[in-house]
Amino acid sequence: MKFKILLAGDGGQGVQTIAKIVSECFFAKNFEVISIPNYGLEQRGGVSLSFIQVSDKQIFYPKFAKADFLLLMSEQARERTSEHVSADTEIIDFKNYQEIILQNKISRSSLNIFFLGVVAKFLSEKKLISKDDIFVIFEKKLASKKNWEENKQVFEIGFLI
Amino acid sequence: MSDKRFLNGYDVVLEACEDAEATQMFGYPITPTTEILSGWINKSLQNKNLHCLQTEDEVAAGFAVCGAVMAGAKAFTATAGPGTVLMQDALSMAEGMRLPFVALIGQRGGPSSGTVIYSQQEVNLSIHGGNGEGMRIVLSPSNLEELYSLTRKVFNYAYKYRFPSILLTDGYLLKTRQSFSLPETKIENQKLLALVDETSQKNIRNIYTLEKELMSELEKNKQDFEEMSKEIVEFEIYSSDVAIDDVGNLVIAHGIVGAVAKEAVDELNKQNKKVALFRPVSLSPFPKDELNKLAQKIKNIFVCESSLGQLRDLVKQNLEYEVKISGIFKPAVGVEAEEIVDLVLSNK
Repeated sequence: MKFKILLAGDGGQGVQTIAKIVSECFFAKNFEVISIPNYGLEQRGGVSLSFIQVSDKQIFYPKFAKADFLLLMSEQARERTSEHVSADTEIIDFKNYQEIILQNKISRSSLNIFFLGVVAKFLSEKKLISKDDIFVIFEKKLASKKNWEENKQVFEIGFLI
Repeated sequence: MSDKRFLNGYDVVLEACEDAEATQMFGYPITPTTEILSGWINKSLQNKNLHCLQTEDEVAAGFAVCGAVMAGAKAFTATAGPGTVLMQDALSMAEGMRLPFVALIGQRGGPSSGTVIYSQQEVNLSIHGGNGEGMRIVLSPSNLEELYSLTRKVFNYAYKYRFPSILLTDGYLLKTRQSFSLPETKIENQKLLALVDETSQKNIRNIYTLEKELMSELEKNKQDFEEMSKEIVEFEIYSSDVAIDDVGNLVIAHGIVGAVAKEAVDELNKQNKKVALFRPVSLSPFPKDELNKLAQKIKNIFVCESSLGQLRDLVKQNLEYEVKISGIFKPAVGVEAEEIVDLVLSNK
């Protein structure tokens, strides 16, 4: 088994926070996991990517050509990730969530946590990891930070969609 | 209890430097080695025995390492790309003066500032960047375990043999986060001996009046380097289920491309293709004898690298047999396992 995840958004959107939580969660569940960020010059308005691979066997190389699952959090990320999309790639596209984000007044600073909830739902439906598995790491990482209560609610909104 | 931890490559390097009992780092921030500098600053804030100085540039960082090791400290630097270029003056001096100079290099795309994360284009620069004869130890790790063990080795080799010792890695490996376990066998540190005894005086020279005097010094250094080579040359031969005597085809790759080449070899062996991987761990000294032992029986060599042929040229320089060489040469771009599989399968 090998599952390849690509997370993509604008620099500063919090893509790497999602990546850290998801990859640490897989590690905690005894999967072989390898992750690598790709953020060249994001402070100058670039795209932030994170490549994560999960397997039951040793993984040698952190990059991959085609993703099994892609999270798109911005328009410019779409163009940047097109080479990693195949006919089999399952995509969560931010465009399909605009209305829910507006309805629930999700702030820009919590947007990544909303998508963490969406990703948690996707991965639990795939029976790779459960919502609780992700929540444990999410709580460990962010419970002491400001906006924890808001983030917790936003995570739930993302998961329940 | 498992001792596995989920770490970044640069965390592993920092741990290795601390375990090597390094006490001083001099550097200038540059991607992808900035985290080594900032990480060592953090360590030095927590441990008063560790020191860090961010210099005005890599020229100063390199010469600060030269000065610190002459004064008896275990020091190192980390740099990349244009920083590696600027550091050649100090590295060359360290080569001439036989200083235990340790440099951790994260290759990035070039020329100049190029791209910031990944490449394999600093092979020539690391080995032959100075105005000397390239008497430098250059080790190329392929995974987190080797990042640790080879960092420990560059310190030990530098202090045992007194040649500049370089860990040549890249931003993919340094920024990769993966499970990591310390080696089961404890690595002992080479004893730190003062270059000059406190009760005596010694003129460690980097300039000579007589040409013949310099030549005889270089001949002696070359002899030392060749004797040392037998002890430290390192390589891996990998094949999942094919007898090495029967491979016929050899993929040659180093560093992280060497890691991805294992996936390719596994796949090719599954398809009954007789192929193995030869992965030089020490690029300098190069495992020449071991390559030639294999080359006697090989029909095809496929060199795979993220440069336009710096590893291929090393292979050609060391190969004593006529073997057809082709490969994948992608400057500053990673190599996928599928590409290697396709290359080998398409070879007629």
